[in-house]
Amino acid sequence: MTAPAILSEYRSRTLCTWCDACGNYGIWTAAKTALAELGLHPWQVCLCFDIGCNGNGSDKIEGYRFHGLHGRVIPFAAGAKLANMNVPVIAFGGDGATFSEGVGHLVHGLRSNYPITFVLHNNANYGLTTGQATSLTWQGQAMNTSPNGMPERTLASMEFIFSLNPTFVARGFSGDIKLMTRILKAAIQHRGFAFIDMLQACPSYNHFATHQYLSDRYFDANADGHNPNDLAQAKLLATQTEERIACGLLYQSQDVPNFYERLVARQGMETTCVEEVRKYNVSQLWADLT
Amino acid sequence: MSRISLKLVGASGQGINSVGAVLAKGVKRAGYCVFAYREYPSLIKGGHASYQLDISNERLCSSETTVNALITLNHHGLERNIEDLKSGGILLHVTPHWNFPACHQALIRSRALKVIYLPLDELLAQLGATAVNANVLVAAYLWSLLNLGIEALKSLVAAKFSKKKGLLDLNMRCIEAGFALVPPEVKKSAFALPAPNAEFAAHLLITGSQAMGLGAIHAGVRFYAGYPITPSSPLLSFIAELQDQTHMVVKQAEDEITAAQMVSGAMYMGTRALTATSGAGLDLMAETVSLNAMIENPTVFVLAQRPGPATGLPTWTAQADLLQAVNIGHGEFARCVLSVSDSQDAFDLLPVAFNLAELYQICVLVLTEKQIAEALFTQAPYDQENAEIDRGKLLTERSSLAAVKPWDRFDPEAKQGISARWLPGSEAPTYCAQGDEHDAGGHVDEAGANAQAQLEKRMRKQQTLKAQIPQPQLTVAGPRGPTLTSLDADDPLDLLVVSWGSTSGVIRDILGSEELRSRRIAHLHFTYLWPLRTERLQHLVERAQRTVLVEQNFQGQLGMLIRMECGLNIADKILKYDGRPFFYDELLSLLREQLALNGIHGSHSASATIGASP
Repeated sequence: MTAPAILSEYRSRTLCTWCDACGNYGIWTAAKTALAELGLHPWQVCLCFDIGCNGNGSDKIEGYRFHGLHGRVIPFAAGAKLANMNVPVIAFGGDGATFSEGVGHLVHGLRSNYPITFVLHNNANYGLTTGQATSLTWQGQAMNTSPNGMPERTLASMEFIFSLNPTFVARGFSGDIKLMTRILKAAIQHRGFAFIDMLQACPSYNHFATHQYLSDRYFDANADGHNPNDLAQAKLLATQTEERIACGLLYQSQDVPNFYERLVARQGMETTCVEEVRKYNVSQLWADLT
Repeated sequence: MSRISLKLVGASGQGINSVGAVLAKGVKRAGYCVFAYREYPSLIKGGHASYQLDISNERLCSSETTVNALITLNHHGLERNIEDLKSGGILLHVTPHWNFPACHQALIRSRALKVIYLPLDELLAQLGATAVNANVLVAAYLWSLLNLGIEALKSLVAAKFSKKKGLLDLNMRCIEAGFALVPPEVKKSAFALPAPNAEFAAHLLITGSQAMGLGAIHAGVRFYAGYPITPSSPLLSFIAELQDQTHMVVKQAEDEITAAQMVSGAMYMGTRALTATSGAGLDLMAETVSLNAMIENPTVFVLAQRPGPATGLPTWTAQADLLQAVNIGHGEFARCVLSVSDSQDAFDLLPVAFNLAELYQICVLVLTEKQIAEALFTQAPYDQENAEIDRGKLLTERSSLAAVKPWDRFDPEAKQGISARWLPGSEAPTYCAQGDEHDAGGHVDEAGANAQAQLEKRMRKQQTLKAQIPQPQLTVAGPRGPTLTSLDADDPLDLLVVSWGSTSGVIRDILGSEELRSRRIAHLHFTYLWPLRTERLQHLVERAQRTVLVEQNFQGQLGMLIRMECGLNIADKILKYDGRPFFYDELLSLLREQLALNGIHGSHSASATIGASP
């Protein structure tokens, strides 16, 4: 019998390298807490990190981890998950990677409804390359490489996400670890692709949506009575963020099969692809070729 | 070896592929070795396409430039392909009231061509059939010309239309009509097929892509992701078609980057996963190859080559991406590049590639070419016993997992650079597959000493691999399966031919020909292209009066690699880069020229290029 999981199992010997007051500390703590509270030991999970400040957390936590290429974390995580459906797979990526270099992967991750969790570290800039504008930076903000203000429009990320018929959308704020832990646990247990928008303070480069700014505006929508089955209300809450910023589990549908469940060829298979590696006799398969 | 050939030409979409495929199968079942070669433009309907069958009762793996029979399903074929006929050849066409221009009339006389007009539309109308049935009628006519039994064709067609009774009856009537059409005197003079060899009847008729697909499944591949691009797509299609039998996960990805990343994730998790691509697709996969090198994730990528750059000639053939494969990805890292040559090793090398990937925890690139991917080979059934699944230092036993330490994963002291590997979900200490330079446990570590130690660890795998991969295969000219015993240690060689990839088949056919089988010609064929082993080559070059490199690219890319590795410069090259494969008669004449230069003093370089203007 394996002992119950405890938070300290996720403690790494490596010291954190994030800036003081970086939102990553909160997200990192919530992720570890959620995994431990779900009773998952580090050896039971696969954590995949994109490139950026979030990815610098890849060696500050225990678990089977992967730290890959900029923008590509979703397909790698999806491939890993489909190979072994028994292992929960969580992918982490920043807003730069996810809405620029890897935006195609996000689109197809959502439409494929892969059974993985995706955590968007949304600090509205490229932090690790010292503060360039991303497509989620506010238009007009002066940033590194755009001293006169970002000329492009800001991408309406939540309108975009909801246009792709997601099955799980949540929003967290790096200043509220309890709330983040709650939605992470729900995401990990979700049937399909769970998208979490983690609004994150970046004290070094984001001087517009600061910790204080976010802290003043965020609220727990579920505590306010929001029902995550209510798609219309979820869209409103997700997209209307000027006065107040709704956090919590905004939308969830467990009725939509995930990608793996839709694979006709896998119906009735009780093993995972990982367990099926052996030599196969293929002589039946060439019958039509004689 | 006696060989005959026939070629069907017409517009893409006219059905030459279905006639060709039925004929190829029927001829093979009658006891012949068939090699089928397709040419077609990159479009769906229209354009000019061909399907050529070369037939023998001995093993054959090449096409000739000229054919014994030409079947044209439209007038473009009459205009463009009449010169492809050999003397005494048959021209079968379906174009009413066709007036041959004077030059073609002269050609018909000088080559004594037999011209047969098949009034296809009238025949179909008489049978109450439509254009859909034209293919069966044409196939039946050719079947009769080849003197094959009608029942064999009926059973082939019946198998295809077993669920469509109405269509089946009509097709049977078309077969009988097509058969009866051939006048006895034409039939008698048409084709002299040699005596059949029953051995071939039970062989498979298979494309290189299908062979690779079977090889991959045999090797335990359980996950396939790909993005459509010719000529790698037939592999994706084949794997996809079989999924309900194999129960594999098959994913048509949104792009090549995704396909590469998905299979990398699946391999990291511990299954065997494959992707294939062509042309620009490999450019897109390059960053992922580099990533896998850093995280020491075993992967296998298939590259089906076509001529480039850019979109190039998407439906034609080349061997022009060798240097790309050998140098793929940023940074310095170990990798292995193999090339298949035919339908036999397209199957055999897939288990080998996965074993090498897992043994060395490296990326293995398996090259093929449009010529191999889409040609049809007559292939003996594949052995199902010999291949082994070797997963290298993969730890799965509870006891070994209990003893493992996180810093074993990328231990820089590991023997030969190959460290222990264990999978997510294993009850053991965890590690990070870290794309940044890292220490033994996958923690980011930018210290100079660590960076040097880790790079050296990863490169040591290449040295070990180089010492363990096989040397290039040596064969010598001779009849049926040349033996090495005729290669006496002291006698000089008339010629040493150096090649890789699809050229092996045509060279083997040539070295088995009446003309060259008694010459002292050695053929050294490279399957393992990186790391490159040159010892055997260097030894043989010393003994050869002349060495010639045969490749399908402009630069002589294997020659460049050889020179880079050992300094040897093979000055004589036969290079072709017009998108067409080497044809039997074409390469035979070029090798004949090489042999003729032997003994000439101060022998000058005798490089040749084909296809383009001189």
